[in-house]
Amino acid sequence: MRATLRWAHSDLRTHRGEALFLVLATAGIVVSLLLATALFGYATNPWQRVFTQAHGAHVWLHTAPSADTGRLTELDGVESVTGPYPTASTTLASRGARAAVELRGTAEEPSVGRPLLTSGHWLDPSDPDGVVLESRLARALLAAPGDTLALPGTDRTVTVLGVADSAEKRYRPGEQPGLVWAQPSAVRDPRGQVVALRLTDPEDTDYAVQRAVTVLGAGAVSEVSTWKQARAEAQGDNRLLGQVLGLFGLGALVAAGLAVHGAIGTRIRGHLRDISVLKAIGFTPGQVVRVFLLQHLAYALLGALAAAAVVQGLGSRIPGRLGDAVGVWHGLPGHTVALLVVPVAVVLFIGATTGLAAWRAGRVPPVPVPRRASAPGGRLSGAARSALGLRLPPALVLGWHRAFSRRLRSPATVARLALPLLLIVVAMSAWTTIERFDGRPEQVGLPTSLTVHADAGLTGRAARSVLEGDPQVAAAYPGVEVAALVPGQTATIALRGLGTRQDPYPYSLAEGRAATGRDEAVAGQGLLALLDARVGDWVRITVGDQPQILHIVGRSIEPENAGRVISTSLDTLRENDPGLGPTLYELRLRPGADPGAVAERLTAAGRGHLDVHAVPNPADGLSPLRGVIVGLIVVLALIGLIELLTAIGGTVREGERDLLALKAIGLSPRQITAITVVSTACTALAAAVAATGLGVPLARWIIDAQGASSGIGSGIAARPSALLLLLLCVAAVTGAAALAALPASRAARRRLADTLSAVA
Amino acid sequence: MRLPLLALLARGPAHGYELKQDLELLLGSAYPQPNVGQIYVTLGRLEKSGLIEGEDVEQSGRPNKKVYHLTDAGREALHAWFEETEDEPRVRDEFFMKLALAPQTGLADQIALINRQRRQYLNTMRHLSKLAAAENRDNRIAHLLIEGAMLHLQADLDWLERCQEELEELE
Amino acid sequence: MSDDPTPVLRAEGLVKTHHGEGAPAHAVRGVDLRVRPGEFVAVTGPSGAGKSTLLHLLGGLQRPDSGSIWLDGECADGWREARWAVERRKRIGIVFQFFNLVSDLSVADNVELPALLAGVPPKRARAERADLLAELGLEGKERSMPGELSGEQQRVALARALVNRPPLLLADEPAGSLDSKGTREVMRLLTRFHQRGQTIVLVTHDARLASAADRVISFFDGRIADDAALDGGAPPRRAGASGVLELRD
Repeated sequence: MRATLRWAHSDLRTHRGEALFLVLATAGIVVSLLLATALFGYATNPWQRVFTQAHGAHVWLHTAPSADTGRLTELDGVESVTGPYPTASTTLASRGARAAVELRGTAEEPSVGRPLLTSGHWLDPSDPDGVVLESRLARALLAAPGDTLALPGTDRTVTVLGVADSAEKRYRPGEQPGLVWAQPSAVRDPRGQVVALRLTDPEDTDYAVQRAVTVLGAGAVSEVSTWKQARAEAQGDNRLLGQVLGLFGLGALVAAGLAVHGAIGTRIRGHLRDISVLKAIGFTPGQVVRVFLLQHLAYALLGALAAAAVVQGLGSRIPGRLGDAVGVWHGLPGHTVALLVVPVAVVLFIGATTGLAAWRAGRVPPVPVPRRASAPGGRLSGAARSALGLRLPPALVLGWHRAFSRRLRSPATVARLALPLLLIVVAMSAWTTIERFDGRPEQVGLPTSLTVHADAGLTGRAARSVLEGDPQVAAAYPGVEVAALVPGQTATIALRGLGTRQDPYPYSLAEGRAATGRDEAVAGQGLLALLDARVGDWVRITVGDQPQILHIVGRSIEPENAGRVISTSLDTLRENDPGLGPTLYELRLRPGADPGAVAERLTAAGRGHLDVHAVPNPADGLSPLRGVIVGLIVVLALIGLIELLTAIGGTVREGERDLLALKAIGLSPRQITAITVVSTACTALAAAVAATGLGVPLARWIIDAQGASSGIGSGIAARPSALLLLLLCVAAVTGAAALAALPASRAARRRLADTLSAVA
Repeated sequence: MRLPLLALLARGPAHGYELKQDLELLLGSAYPQPNVGQIYVTLGRLEKSGLIEGEDVEQSGRPNKKVYHLTDAGREALHAWFEETEDEPRVRDEFFMKLALAPQTGLADQIALINRQRRQYLNTMRHLSKLAAAENRDNRIAHLLIEGAMLHLQADLDWLERCQEELEELE
Repeated sequence: MSDDPTPVLRAEGLVKTHHGEGAPAHAVRGVDLRVRPGEFVAVTGPSGAGKSTLLHLLGGLQRPDSGSIWLDGECADGWREARWAVERRKRIGIVFQFFNLVSDLSVADNVELPALLAGVPPKRARAERADLLAELGLEGKERSMPGELSGEQQRVALARALVNRPPLLLADEPAGSLDSKGTREVMRLLTRFHQRGQTIVLVTHDARLASAADRVISFFDGRIADDAALDGGAPPRRAGASGVLELRD
């Protein structure tokens, strides 16, 4: 109604700063949430898009050539089966680069798991040596359609006809062979075959896999990969990002909600007298509630709209991965929904918190009375009294008293201020953890920087001498890595034998001890979760069709393969299979060595027989997270600022009524200002201490939980350095004091007449 | 002094010295000491007006003392006195007497006394307001006088309130 | 006494007790009251007697513990706060001792607000406001904020209370925070409006203000101790200014 609008308009004119505040706060929250959604979308969707378009297969089974895959079509739950396609493992080399590949023979484009051509064309029967490369592999080999690639060790060559995207596990140098489609005739002596299953119920993958393997016979199946693994891998880095962001986004939302609630509550408390008068004039309680609710909803809506417009318009210009994510996100179907839902949700959330404060405003009695003294404080404690007696500056003592004497209000203020600080501490811990991945990889399961594969041209001993001959190589650990099936047979795990008993591989252990004795091994978190085992259990692994029984004596931090790794020494594996020789070498470099330079030298020294790759560091995928963390800290600092200013406003307002009394006692305006400043600083100090005390263990718990769920294993969390924490506390306290100084000094110097009219 | 003595006699017959003692007891040490001679003179005057009557009473070994009692005329005069309202500052003493003596005599209700006096004050105030309105704006002296009277009246009314408060407490 | 015109305000058996810290305070104990249209009633009494509470009860700002109120013959027993608020827009104007004005709004907005609330079109509201402010001698202050005024606040409050020409005006110590000059102003204004037929119920401890009324109710300890009509009383012994001189003797 008109009267309502008139009052709202006038209120806006007189309290412009507060209105701007609320608008900016809402905008900040919406922006951060939208960016998180964008990253999330970016994380899940590329793979999803490819999978859908490619009519992706849910399960890929690598079996022996003799397996009877026809029986798979009869299984219920299986919608269609394609294949079997003959496969062979080989190596492809282009100028300067080599890659281990899996040659898959297929005549026409498979109906399930169809490769999506990005360049070139599909296989041509007239060109028997033509192949199509998967895109990641092509990038690694720097191959484009038309190039010729050689198969080292033979004199065959193949021509690249096209490059395609696939929804299967991607090429990873040293770990996962790349995918090459070729004519079946090009696949000479296939070692196995691969068959693709498409399921009616994609969620039921594990069960379907189990039945398939049972039907085919465990001995026949050498590797199983599911769509979930492929997806997890594709999202691997981004998913962590997205999850962490989502968590922070939620935390920030809660903190922001509290901040807004506090700001609104304080605003309304400052209006109490006006509300009484309005009610006396004839505003109904419902109208009063509506006025406040609509007013703040309008601010929130303005902020949300502005934020959405900014993200929509300028989001893709943000440098780095974030900008890419927003750019991609624009083209995805869920985009408009998210762009609508997130701001609306935030506005509703703020509306809910406002509603509570507004409801209380509606209950103010219509009788305008002199402002009652705020909630009764406590008496001056004995310690404070003696402090005063000891000639401690009265400003200090009174400030302390004012900060902590209110029974309910003080802890609430401290808690609200502590929340954003707590989240900042958690963010700092995340940063430190990522730093640890970068700076001290040996502590987080990456003791070696280079992996070397030697082919048949270089024997074990010769290879080892070449490797150890390099001055910057500190140690070379021989080892093997095989894929193995686990009981239950739903997934493949990696079984590694690294190092010898004399020269053990330096695993980073989070629990238990190193594997020194016979049949002892350490496992990653992912494996323990998969097998539902604990440190100290005995497990049975099937390698090919040979069982291996191992005693898990420790848990290591394993960043690869989602932690589904069990590692033992080479000697243990050799006991079961004497013919086993090292297929790879893990190199630990001296501190300060440049992995790239060493890799070049070794490749040259190996004369083409050595295949050197850098060990992938999960932190590489997480490096954009660092920029995001900084942004988050800024947002949290903004939220903390809002809370702080609200608290300062409340303290100054409540100090007004004491102004005259304090002047009468004999305190100068400067001392009176100091009281407010000290009280604010004490509150900030308490909040900072609480935030640090709670934040560090909370951060550790969150990061470890994240590590455990992603399979790397808990134990990766790192505490931010004590110096940084101290810096945070000091910054909070000095910032609070500085911000409180101006309004406090203005209040202390107000004319007596104004004070009287404000208070009486 | 005349009517307070009458009022004291309304309780019952008494002689001069007793009356003096009663007055002292009633008014306390703040009030100036009643002069015995003044009392005897007033009593004589009252007798002459016919409001009281005296009787000699014999005492052994001492001169006769005269005991007075109230006549009907005296009782009437008392009633009239209580019914009256005063409109002057010095009335405070009169009014105060009435207030103090009313419960003793049972002739008047204290609250009613106060109410009646208040009405009188208010009416006087109203009258003063009309005077002020009628008076020429430039006649500052007159306005000041009227204002002075109003302020006195305000003080008196405040005092009436105090009296009523005290009495209400006692009840 | 004829009750022919329906009393603007009628109250029976009003009781209100405040429960604060310590013993409960019986502010109003069984008050009956009738105000005829055009009457100017003053309620006096010592502070803490419950006069303000009585006024709040009559204006619907507080709910009585028991008792009934009739406004223009309409029983207000079941009225909720919202209903009372609506009544306060059109039928009752209230002036308090302090805090009459919304600090966020200018003087003009403050005066127009009740009119806008009552649904008066903005143009007419503005005209009413201009008239009232001119009458009260406040032209030129339309745009000031309440914080900038000092003694004029009560006049603005009166304007605000009267902008809708309510049949009943309730005033709680309107001159309480003013000096004698301000009090005279308020008295003059109240008398002027009363002469135009405004019904006024005034709570005050100032005898001058009370004497301007037709009827003075003495309020003691929650009860009505005396309800007297002022008629100018017996003329004083001496008349004119010299009479006043004599009075001072």
